[in-house]
Amino acid sequence: MTTFSSPASAEVSEIDRSARWPLAFLIFASLGWLVASGVLALLNTLQILNPAFLADCEWLTFGRLQAIQESAFLYGWAVNAALAVGLWILVRLSAAPLRGGNFVAVGAVFWSLGLLLGLVGIATGHMSSFALFQLPAYIQPLMLAAFAAMAAPGVLAWTGRRERATFASQWYIVAALFLFPWAFSVAQVMLLFAPVRGVLQPIIATWYGQNFLSLFLGPVAVAALYYLLPKIKGQVLPAYDFAPYGFWALLIFSSWMGGRHLIGGPVPVWLPTVAIAAASMALIHHIVIGLNLRSLFAPGASLVLKFAAAGFAAYLLAGLVDAVFSMRGVALITHFTYFEQAQLQLFLAAFSLIIFAAIYYLGPRLLGVAWPSTTLIRAHFLASLIGFPVLVLVLALAGWRQGLELLDAEISLRAIAAHTRPWLQVAAAAQALLLFGNLTLFAHFARLLCAQRSGESLAQFRQPQALEATAS
Amino acid sequence: MSDQNPLHNDDPRLEQAAATDESLIRAHDKASAGAPDLHAAYRLLPLALLFIFSGLIFYGGTYLNRYSAHFSGEVFDERQLPGGEVQVAQVDPIALGKRQYTLACVTCHMPNGQGLPTVYPSLVDSEWVNGSEERLIRIVLHGLKGPVTVKGETFNAAAMPAFGQVPTSGYNWSDERIAAVLTYIRQEWGNEAAPIETATVAAIRSQIPARTEWSEAELLAIP
Repeated sequence: MTTFSSPASAEVSEIDRSARWPLAFLIFASLGWLVASGVLALLNTLQILNPAFLADCEWLTFGRLQAIQESAFLYGWAVNAALAVGLWILVRLSAAPLRGGNFVAVGAVFWSLGLLLGLVGIATGHMSSFALFQLPAYIQPLMLAAFAAMAAPGVLAWTGRRERATFASQWYIVAALFLFPWAFSVAQVMLLFAPVRGVLQPIIATWYGQNFLSLFLGPVAVAALYYLLPKIKGQVLPAYDFAPYGFWALLIFSSWMGGRHLIGGPVPVWLPTVAIAAASMALIHHIVIGLNLRSLFAPGASLVLKFAAAGFAAYLLAGLVDAVFSMRGVALITHFTYFEQAQLQLFLAAFSLIIFAAIYYLGPRLLGVAWPSTTLIRAHFLASLIGFPVLVLVLALAGWRQGLELLDAEISLRAIAAHTRPWLQVAAAAQALLLFGNLTLFAHFARLLCAQRSGESLAQFRQPQALEATAS
Repeated sequence: MSDQNPLHNDDPRLEQAAATDESLIRAHDKASAGAPDLHAAYRLLPLALLFIFSGLIFYGGTYLNRYSAHFSGEVFDERQLPGGEVQVAQVDPIALGKRQYTLACVTCHMPNGQGLPTVYPSLVDSEWVNGSEERLIRIVLHGLKGPVTVKGETFNAAAMPAFGQVPTSGYNWSDERIAAVLTYIRQEWGNEAAPIETATVAAIRSQIPARTEWSEAELLAIP
């Protein structure tokens, strides 16, 4: 067991120093991609409002810009940030320094370089035709190798942990580290290199998209919640003995949910039916983590927990919306409208808010110095708290109206597009607000990187106490 | 309590931790066994969860059973079951025949079936159309070439293309379509001959190997 000489070294120890620069680079890269994708998202929405905007620039026509924006957000921001947070939590809970940190650094550099090449590839027209999987075929194997290099030290942190007992955060992250390359490699082979025929392709594509979201991004976010709440509040989670059921419910059911995007499509009818039933069964996961983490909704004065609570609320809501709005009667209206965009944005908002919370918590520990500014954190919180709900709500309302009008043969497509226009203008404003918020985090993290580390800053960390085991 | 607790600090620049990682793992490992039920007081939560999860499983199972079409790969409508009676859509031969006629025949024989004097023969009141089924089917299957006399008028350069499955021909109409278009021309524009069955077309097609267009003399030799 490591012995701690001073309070400061207990909270900022060997463990954090070993992970400092690889993970700081990952976070810096992820925030850079987040800001870039925010700019692109704003441009993309402006293109819907004014189709002539950038229409003459071949590289930035609407479809390509949408693919670039989506890929930059998912593979730039989400994957990098999820890995940074996941690895840090694994390393902390393993109570041993990060092994193979160089692999993380090399993997992170190649992942971002590969993504950059991939985005240029999309701009020149080489994208694949599958949603959430639009990077060109020639860059995908490199991405898989880079991911493996970054994930391997996480697995080492798991196998080399000091405590034999495990915590819920570890289950979720280790599962995510194995499940993403599984889905990613299967999708690469079956869609790009030895493509399956015809109607099988959308089945594989929706299966991959669902796994990417709910078996990689989702579990890392849930793991961060499981770690942050008891760590900051100093209380054992209630009903923790049910946590394994929540974990296995997610693993078993959520992989089946992809087929709900194929309702009414040319696939055997049991595929969407299984997906709709699985979306309801996955609520077991949401109920269990809702029980375990319910004290998040009393976050007190902690801004980290406020971020986490907002993300947690969005996560639970996203699960419920997936279950209810995939029913055939409702999907009749929401299918192929902005409503599906709203559902995706709701899930991604949940992920982003929770990861923001984790970054605000781990930033000072990783870099051994407190955040420079309170104002910037509050500004980011305010921008996120207004931006995300407004974006999701206006897209949902626009999609619902669009869906109702599309079912009415009397209303022309032109009129329907005109009716969604005011909503999309509000959505553009929300995206601008989110971009501002994310820009503050990016600038703030850059300042944190440049801040002076000294014994004085270390003394600000207080020695945490041992958690009393009071099972409830 | 939290007032005296030095661990709680509200400065968002540095979120203080209230528990060590080691104790976090140990305390939760202990909690994962659940609280011992010393007084035989049933905890409400496991019971409630059991009911909720059972309800979800019951709902999911029922939905799956009802709308999965027994997991058949050949059913695309959630209200259907596999292996049911095969529904053959009933097609009105007149409607199908009219569609075939407007697709091809109309180019020469005109929408009113009158053709063009001296170039394309008329189908109205024609002895060929209203007469022998055997001859009429052969004309459409394999085509007709050379001079032909219709209603006393001789057409010297008749060149009716083949519509059956003939090599080098662009047309591959099925027996059903040929029967439909012949039934249509035999009952339209005042013609009142009997309809032609799909089976009749199929029988003639199977009897005759692939061949070039018929001549008038060859056809007249057939009853």
